[in-house]
Amino acid sequence: MPNLLTSLFREIKATMGIFEPGGDQTYGLLAEFSDPGALYHAAQDVRQAGYKRFDTHSPFPIHGMDRAMGLGQSKLGIIVFFGGTVVGCALGIWMQWWTSAVDYPINISGKPFYSVWPAMPIIFELTILFSALVAVAGMLALNGLPRPYNPLFYSERFRKATDDGFFLHIAASDPEFDLDATRDFLGEIGALHVEVLEDQGTTTSAAPPAAETPPEPTPSVA
Amino acid sequence: MAELKRSSLLTWLVSPFQPTREHADARFTYRGSSTLYLALLGLGVALLIVSLVGWAVDAKQFFFSYVVGWSFALTVTLGALFLTLIHHITKSHWSVVVRRIPEAMTWMFPVLAVLSIPILLGMHDLYHWTHEELYDPTDPHYDEILAGKRGYLNTPFWLARMAAYFLIWTFLSYRLLKLSLRQDLDPDRSIPKKQRRTAAWGIPVFGVTTAFASYDILMALDPHWFSTIFGVYIFAGAFFSASATIVLLALLLQRLGGSLRGIFTKEHYHDLGKWMFAMTAFWAYIAFSQYMLYWYGGIPEETVFYRHRFEHGWQWHSYSLMFFHFVLPFLILLPRASKRILPVLGVMTGWFLVIHWFDIHWIAMPVYDVFYGAGHAGFSWISIACGLGFLFFYLGLTLYHLQRHSLVPYNDPRFVRSLQFESV
Repeated sequence: MPNLLTSLFREIKATMGIFEPGGDQTYGLLAEFSDPGALYHAAQDVRQAGYKRFDTHSPFPIHGMDRAMGLGQSKLGIIVFFGGTVVGCALGIWMQWWTSAVDYPINISGKPFYSVWPAMPIIFELTILFSALVAVAGMLALNGLPRPYNPLFYSERFRKATDDGFFLHIAASDPEFDLDATRDFLGEIGALHVEVLEDQGTTTSAAPPAAETPPEPTPSVA
Repeated sequence: MAELKRSSLLTWLVSPFQPTREHADARFTYRGSSTLYLALLGLGVALLIVSLVGWAVDAKQFFFSYVVGWSFALTVTLGALFLTLIHHITKSHWSVVVRRIPEAMTWMFPVLAVLSIPILLGMHDLYHWTHEELYDPTDPHYDEILAGKRGYLNTPFWLARMAAYFLIWTFLSYRLLKLSLRQDLDPDRSIPKKQRRTAAWGIPVFGVTTAFASYDILMALDPHWFSTIFGVYIFAGAFFSASATIVLLALLLQRLGGSLRGIFTKEHYHDLGKWMFAMTAFWAYIAFSQYMLYWYGGIPEETVFYRHRFEHGWQWHSYSLMFFHFVLPFLILLPRASKRILPVLGVMTGWFLVIHWFDIHWIAMPVYDVFYGAGHAGFSWISIACGLGFLFFYLGLTLYHLQRHSLVPYNDPRFVRSLQFESV
């Protein structure tokens, strides 16, 4: 039973992009591609090859990437409707009815203690507020954020993902994953550079270091 | 290069330019038979003629029924004009494929101007403020409030305003239509800029004329009453019904006319569905704003509007309006799927058009009830004949206009991007 729970928990974390390392602490392979188009096609190829646990990283959103990766429709809308919209609306009705008609009724110019019409703006505002909060919280949860530790950060090269690098990561926990075969496969589909990531914080370069260029210029500090 | 030629005088009224479809690629033109639009047109005309029998039977009822049907068609046309204007001003690329449909719809203005004749003949029955005795202080019917409003609400000024509205709307539609159709024959790169410039001055002019037209045509039916938000309310209904009509016309062109396959895609339907969805909420927001302020203020000359609509059975109309104009369509159109499953969206277009007609019926008919005392809510057969007559006539005439030209502006610089559009 704990095993079942653990594996269920792992499955849920995998949908958030949080993958477990493989047997020997190998977290997976990180491949760099030259441009958004190459990354888009690589994602299609990786999906068609049967991989499930992979993710793409780029400095900006790439149109159609969710479809290329086979992500399907986000469940956020359903979460927002039942967790935010309905709850916020009900809370708005209940709160105003309870405060002004039950707990502390005050007669204001002969108007009813509780009427749905003047209560509507606040019901509306709370509906929107709760929907918005649940949308943000749900988005973060579905993405597994905030995530201060990610083994991908051990890669020096991966810093380019916020600037001009286009990366694809295949997790070692993917059933299809095989270190050598997957590395060759990534090379075949056009990766410029492939590196092995380990969860302990060390990286080993899998491509010949010949094409390496010096790291980014160090800022001159006076 | 081919020139855009004006139609003969009589055809000009329904379609101002001679057909240009032979210049277009066959994929972009109407592929169906003429039976579709002729049947719709015939049905519409037949129903309108049937409603004319009502004129002979019960003239007062006929005038009110007719003004409901006519305003229904007018608001749909105004919505179409507005959609064309915002398409140009925002340089939208997704709606390039859609654009010809609202453009064709805007050419209903001259036809509606001609069809306003029964309203002009029925002004005395429709508009209480046209009665001369109200303004004679010695007459027992003297009405101080209406006498105070006489500077605005008097027949010559009203007629002049109506003429001005229709001239402005027709001019705007004509200019946008002409530029659009000329683009098919001559891919002049300066055309989008001209369209945008027209839209820039067109939008404020549209806003003012629509608001005042709503006061003059519908609010003036109940001349003691006033509402400052009424223009926005009618605008919301116009946008609401026009987006539904565009979807309906596109479905008719594709499903029954076999045209635009693979050009007008699910992505375009999805975005139009979003408009429909947004407008149920916008309409409710405006309708509620009016209701809540009246509720709070409790001033008799304002609340009288709702008093008439909360008694003698009209309360059921009011509740129906709330549920079928907002609550249910809002919940139905909320999920992404219902905007992308075309049979669902198709049913919703019919729903939207019926409920928009019902909305205008709800505005106009209680006034008839108060002045001429049927004493209870209901639908006259004349109202139904007028409503359906205008609807079918509208669809038929617009399809007739559409099939004379290419169904998409294929020379628009943003046309290819529109074809590739994907709705998120």
